[in-house]
Amino acid sequence: MSLSETAGAKMADGGTEAPKQAFWVRNGHFLLLAPGVVWMILFLVIPLIMMVYVSFWTQTTFAIKSDLTTKSWVTFFASETYFGALLRTLRIWLTVLFFTLLIGYPTALFIGQFVRNKTVQTILLVACVIPFWTSFLIRVLAWRPMLGKEGAINIVLQKIGIISEPIEVLLFTELSVIIGMVQIYVVFMVGPIAFMLARIDESLIEAARDLGASAWTIFRKIIFPLSLPGVVVGAIFVSVMVLGEFATAAALSGRKVNLLGNIIVTQVGSLKWAFAAVVGVILTVVMAIVITTLLRVVNLRREL
Amino acid sequence: MMELRGLSKSYDGRSAIADLSLRVEDDEYLTLLGPSGSGKTTLLRLVAGLDLPEHGRISLNGQDITALPTYRRGLGFVQQNYALFPHMSVADNIAFGLRNRVESPVSDEQEVERRVAAMMDLVGLQGLGNRMVGQISGGQKQRVSLARTLITEPKVCLLDEPLGALDANLRERMTVELRNIRQSLGVTFFHVTGNESEALAMGDRMIVLDEGRAIQVAPPDEIFDRPATVRVAKFVNSYNILEGGVTDGVFVCGDLRLPVPDGGADTRYIAVRYDTPSFEAEGTDGAAGQAGLTATFLTSEFMGSRVVYFFRSEAGTVFEVERHLSRSDPETFTGGDRKRLGWPVSETLFFDGNGDRLVVTHARGAA
Repeated sequence: MSLSETAGAKMADGGTEAPKQAFWVRNGHFLLLAPGVVWMILFLVIPLIMMVYVSFWTQTTFAIKSDLTTKSWVTFFASETYFGALLRTLRIWLTVLFFTLLIGYPTALFIGQFVRNKTVQTILLVACVIPFWTSFLIRVLAWRPMLGKEGAINIVLQKIGIISEPIEVLLFTELSVIIGMVQIYVVFMVGPIAFMLARIDESLIEAARDLGASAWTIFRKIIFPLSLPGVVVGAIFVSVMVLGEFATAAALSGRKVNLLGNIIVTQVGSLKWAFAAVVGVILTVVMAIVITTLLRVVNLRREL
Repeated sequence: MMELRGLSKSYDGRSAIADLSLRVEDDEYLTLLGPSGSGKTTLLRLVAGLDLPEHGRISLNGQDITALPTYRRGLGFVQQNYALFPHMSVADNIAFGLRNRVESPVSDEQEVERRVAAMMDLVGLQGLGNRMVGQISGGQKQRVSLARTLITEPKVCLLDEPLGALDANLRERMTVELRNIRQSLGVTFFHVTGNESEALAMGDRMIVLDEGRAIQVAPPDEIFDRPATVRVAKFVNSYNILEGGVTDGVFVCGDLRLPVPDGGADTRYIAVRYDTPSFEAEGTDGAAGQAGLTATFLTSEFMGSRVVYFFRSEAGTVFEVERHLSRSDPETFTGGDRKRLGWPVSETLFFDGNGDRLVVTHARGAA
């Protein structure tokens, strides 16, 4: 007899105690959710609501008042600097997403499909994570002696005589920010895709081959569609991290490339809470749209 | 007609297929019976072109296909686990080969649809074309897998344990249907299985594979009645096999003594089919031409149309006797009953030390 049947039987007895007891028997398992729900309400839902609320507060140079106004919002969309930062963030995000996929997919394809030994697969995936054994800051700053005017790349290219003058666009430009981000985040693309690819049953590929399909058709019709959930998960990882980025941009652009994240940092630094909240709301909305769109691409619930 | 000549293949120095030769006729249902580890999967992979043999040739209608890639062999391969494409509908799965093959793909969608519909009718999948493969039953998956292969019109269709994953009920229905589908298309089915009753029931001809060799190739009734070796007799799972040796013209196996006919001097194994012994009272001495043993009843199993009785023989081995209820009423024994089981010597098979069946002559009319 299941729990609910027990409860039903007690209810039928009609005792005064029975309904109360039955309620807890039926719904007691929801108590398991309580710690999580409390935590999320306190530290996610309330702060989100506060952020939206604060974004309408009145900001003066030295203080912030809770009088509602849309001034901060108007400033954001009217200002070339701030609206430009939104567009730049979107552009850099799309570029980084494109390159992480371009570099990550073939790598994942190799690990997931052409390495059949599970141990070697794991070793290769771990190897992808080795850069993470150093701190984020070192990984980012290490690009400076690499890309700088007198950095490794320029020296080597000059030594072998390909260029006579150092290439200056390598560092403290949007390019250096993109190079840095792609290097840091590509592994988040490789992992989920390699995982999905490794799960594809070898017999499916044999069956397709047996039915006369070429290697390219097999990739297009079987392997790629089946790896798509991995691509989407990887893209979500990369998107969430790149959209909220500020450190790489600050370190590799010499503060010339300002992303939404950098604006939040500076505004909070100068105690402009209302304006920082506006940028925060916009960033949250952008991320929500991006994730929803990506999830529309595949039905993750069905595929995973 | 497909011909395999002298095929060999080994993995890590262990021989999986050893010097195997075989001829597969057009328009026949060929079953291959092999216990696990006999090399049947390897053989299928060689024929399908998923692996290359170390020695030997495979030819199809006179053309050497040993080194041809799978899709150019004109063969179809229905995999054991169906290997359906999980992200496609039933109809798209079936149409995959037509649309995507390298050689003469069908680009006319109407033609594809027409052929897919015809194939779905044939295998009994009417109206399921739009379902995803995750939404259909095991038996239906089996049909999709078969249809997907047959629609490409292979000359020979290889089936790797096609009924293995189905429950008993469905298995019996598919047995009949597979034969019907094959007949209506006139294609050769090469059906590999580890189940002896499946191999016996379905094949026009049957191959018994053991340790990488085809030890007997014959129609199923012949394999069942006259297994070429003692191993075949074991695989068909219908013989009591007694192991012993001949001394002074009598087969000795433990405490058991059995007569041996002319030509049986080298007998090492005697095989008695489950349905040959008859029950006699204890102490009955066999007439001339009869053999028998005394055994203790252990238990019986009611199988619907027949009853199987298990005895422990004098030789210490379990001895099975089968009674078909259409021919006699069941007999009830209690555990520990001692019975004499008798059978005509002429109905037993004799095998020598190598396991090969001996040709013996029975003294006729001696009784």
